[in-house]
Amino acid sequence: MVGMNRTRAALENFVIVAIILVLVQTFVEDFAVLAGWSWSVRRALLFTGFAFDIFFTIEFLTRLYFSFVNRRTGTYFWYERGWIDLLASIPLLLLSSGPAVLAYWSGTATIVGFGAILNVLKVVKAIRIARILRLLRVLKIFARIRHTESAMAQRHVAKISTVAVTVVVVTILAMTVLFGVLDTPSLETVYQEQTVRVLRTIDDIQPEGDSGKAALSELADLEPALLLVQRDGHTLYSRYENDLYDSDFGPTDYGYGESGGLRVFFDLTPLNQEQSRSNLLYFVIIGLLVLAFMLYYSPHFALTVSDPLHIMRRGMSEKGYNLEIKIPPLYEEDEVYRLGQLFNEVYLPLKDRTSAADEPEVLDLKFDDIKDILNE
Amino acid sequence: MSAEHQKATAFVARLLENPALKPLTPLQKEEQIIQFFHANATQLAPTLATPAFFPGASWNQIVALLLAALTEYVNTDLFASLEQIVENQIDFGYVNFLRQQAVGSDKVQQQIASLVKTLLVKPEARRGFTGAHTALVFKFVDRYVDAVWTRKSYIHFEITKVQRLRMSKEQVKAMIETTLLLKPVVYLVATGGVAGQAEQTSGIVETKFGEKVFLATKKHLNLVPDPVLKSAVSASISFIENRFIEATARIAAIFAARCRNFQPSVRVDRGADSPDKSWLSIARRNYKFYGFDIKMLDEFFSIAAENGW
Repeated sequence: MVGMNRTRAALENFVIVAIILVLVQTFVEDFAVLAGWSWSVRRALLFTGFAFDIFFTIEFLTRLYFSFVNRRTGTYFWYERGWIDLLASIPLLLLSSGPAVLAYWSGTATIVGFGAILNVLKVVKAIRIARILRLLRVLKIFARIRHTESAMAQRHVAKISTVAVTVVVVTILAMTVLFGVLDTPSLETVYQEQTVRVLRTIDDIQPEGDSGKAALSELADLEPALLLVQRDGHTLYSRYENDLYDSDFGPTDYGYGESGGLRVFFDLTPLNQEQSRSNLLYFVIIGLLVLAFMLYYSPHFALTVSDPLHIMRRGMSEKGYNLEIKIPPLYEEDEVYRLGQLFNEVYLPLKDRTSAADEPEVLDLKFDDIKDILNE
Repeated sequence: MSAEHQKATAFVARLLENPALKPLTPLQKEEQIIQFFHANATQLAPTLATPAFFPGASWNQIVALLLAALTEYVNTDLFASLEQIVENQIDFGYVNFLRQQAVGSDKVQQQIASLVKTLLVKPEARRGFTGAHTALVFKFVDRYVDAVWTRKSYIHFEITKVQRLRMSKEQVKAMIETTLLLKPVVYLVATGGVAGQAEQTSGIVETKFGEKVFLATKKHLNLVPDPVLKSAVSASISFIENRFIEATARIAAIFAARCRNFQPSVRVDRGADSPDKSWLSIARRNYKFYGFDIKMLDEFFSIAAENGW
């Protein structure tokens, strides 16, 4: 039994370390996009994220299985944050890291590029925005950190943090989906209109001839997103050398449109960078939100709710404990402090008078303390 | 020394070695152990009646043996502490000032120490002396009287103008400490002067009984000035009953009560008031019950609040 508990504790600690690492990984992956790090580094981060998502999916399924076996699935899912385990594992694997890895393995941008360019952009955005679900894992760590001695303070602060972080994450996801469904103007739609216009222009200018090539170069100067133009597999224009595409561009960094034999590749990096900037912003907001609850609200809750209750409980259960509750003038109208005032002004004096008639309490010596003497 | 007494002494000595009792004064330790015996009688009785301890003895016999050993053991530390207080802590030079004639301090010391030791043979005197002794050990008089002298408020007025002690601060401190030291003199005369339940529980005596005690004490302490003896006796009289009680007596009564269960290393929980402030606040609400001077409690409360005591 002790061995099992140790194994379980070791596994739980391992999960905590994994959560910390995945949060770091999430931050660095977005930062890498924003900072324009090379594809090789971003690829490594992509696979790391994929590995983490597999790990957490297995973790969730394992916990779900054992909770089912122990007939406590509901408890695990609703009260032990199983829903966070779910949201931060399977959807990420299916919507974020999984598609990105598949796109890489397929060798082209086909996964994101079969449809029209707008669909491409929507999928890319969905992949990147889904990553925000990982931030829910902050709550798993938060629940494990004993930031206060009071179980009640711990639970209340955990609850309010969960509500706040979940509302932020779900709102961002829901609004992103809603804006996508409603086709509201966005960077993606502007980008889409721009690329369609470029496609038509290229089709019009007949880029095969010398004059066409010159016109293509002029167009490329005006449209920085234009990367590559091919007709029936032959390159008519390329902004960069092939080596640079290999080193700096991953499958989600570009998209393409086709018209007849013409294939035009577009740079999606600015859109990805914008999304990463947003993701980092969400990351920081959630991080600061949790820290604020932990470092500011939690002590405030402990000070104004659980500490006075703790003092009253000790005063009522321990004969020799007669310390008054310090009542801050700012909160003296709080129910807790009004109760504390009664404790100070009525209970303690009454207790003092009553205990004056009794024998003093044995404060410091317990029977267990002398068992060794009796056993000698 | 009988084998049983040796065993009892060894047992008590081991109990007193308990680290939990380390910060307590000898009399506080004794109280703790006595209460421990009473609280754990059902568990201790069968074990201590085994051949390894006191075979065949009844629980009452065992307790009597243990208490005798405990008193003897505690007295070693207690008397050493008393000697330290009498010889080194209290400067009896003020006695000469009050008597207006030179009396050897060492003779006064001897008289007082001898009487207190005699009184401490009585269990009730030992219990009654616990708070006063603790107040002396932890030098409560020093820190509060220093603050009183700085404030020059009600208590200072009561000492210097009402009680008319035209002495230095250090001399006043010594007189209050002597009052504390002699507080158990009320046990010199067989008890019977207590009135109702309140008086019994709060340890206060009637003024008439106090007068009888004063006369009895005077016979034992002929070198100690009357104002000091009166102060010592009055420290056990209610200020509610007698408004003419000396300020030094009122102060000593408060300190002795404060230190009855004083623990120097008590852990103050976050959100709780400091120990002295809490005690004084409760005492302010119970001042009639204990016979304290409410205005003195108010001033000591302010001092404790200002100093975080």
